[in-house]
Amino acid sequence: MLIKIQIIVGVLSIILLLITFELIRKKRLREEYAILWLFTGIAVLVFSLWPEFLLSQFFVRITGIFYLSAVVLIAFFFLLLIVFHFSVVISKLTNQNKELAQQYALLALELNELKKNGFPPVPASSNNV
Amino acid sequence: MKRDTSMELKKRILAIIPAYNEEDSVGKVIEEVNTHFPQAVVLVINDGSSDHTSEKASTCGATVLDLPFNLGIGGAMQAGYKYAYENGYDIAIQVDADGQHDPKEIQKLLHTLEVEKVDVAIGSRFIGGSRYKGSIMRRIGIAIFSGVISTIVRQRITDPTSGFRASNRKAIQLFASDYPQDYPEPEVVILLHQCHLKIGEVPVGMSERYSGESSITKIKSIYYMVKVLLAIFVDCFKKPPLLEKEGEQC
Repeated sequence: MLIKIQIIVGVLSIILLLITFELIRKKRLREEYAILWLFTGIAVLVFSLWPEFLLSQFFVRITGIFYLSAVVLIAFFFLLLIVFHFSVVISKLTNQNKELAQQYALLALELNELKKNGFPPVPASSNNV
Repeated sequence: MKRDTSMELKKRILAIIPAYNEEDSVGKVIEEVNTHFPQAVVLVINDGSSDHTSEKASTCGATVLDLPFNLGIGGAMQAGYKYAYENGYDIAIQVDADGQHDPKEIQKLLHTLEVEKVDVAIGSRFIGGSRYKGSIMRRIGIAIFSGVISTIVRQRITDPTSGFRASNRKAIQLFASDYPQDYPEPEVVILLHQCHLKIGEVPVGMSERYSGESSITKIKSIYYMVKVLLAIFVDCFKKPPLLEKEGEQC
């Protein structure tokens, strides 16, 4: 029974790692976000490879939870970290987005006023006429 | 620049009107400001409106700052203060586009700014003879804000939600670099206190809005209260921003 779960979890974590690598390679995932995903994949993989070493002797004795529950708990912890990280990143992006929108509007207004006041005075193409 | 010695007439004044889908009322507000306070330049911040607010405003002779999408009142106001800061205005007045602020009262705000030597003058509905007829919920809400904010800033602030304000150059500089987001009026008071800027209140009358709904509906009012109180609580622990330019430290 345990060996089946071990294989499933192991394969899933390898797939996760492969997808992460592939996305980094294609530059669709920035390294700073990829690090947390890599850690998640590696942690789950390690637990599927040596369940006795890490789990039955240490984790299960401390917490009393079984193998699959332990894996889920660890994965959940990493997901929590990732989501929290995303909240921080989104906050920063929102702020930068606001600054950009404001600066864009100010520059657009300035440009319009310059145009209205006849600047540039003569368009470059009509110089030859 | 020796601004202090110059007469009041030489001060450059900007009236900032943030507008989001206010095509029915914005024109009237601009005209009233121009009539009762012609020395001010009127700047309308079009906060990504989907109606003809922008065209209406420029037809009425205002300068229009078109934001590319809706930023919310905080982001729009800050854009106005950035404009005021970059273009060297000495005083910025914020007026709502829905017509609830009477441009005749702008003079009172400026008077307070000048005489009481405060950095920001807030028009209050609750001092003096002004009779404000709002819903009971709203009045209770404002009373709670007033109590909490007055305690924090150790100064009586009767109407912290009022958006009818005048700011001097120092406050403009602060707002250009740092302005709260969603419902900014009460939070701005805390920000000013943290930066040791002085606040003064002026009794003003406010009329019914020409059109549109308040941004705070009945159902949302409790959510609004909790959110603003939470924001105020968090603000108390925030590091106050530093002002770098013009040799003024916050």
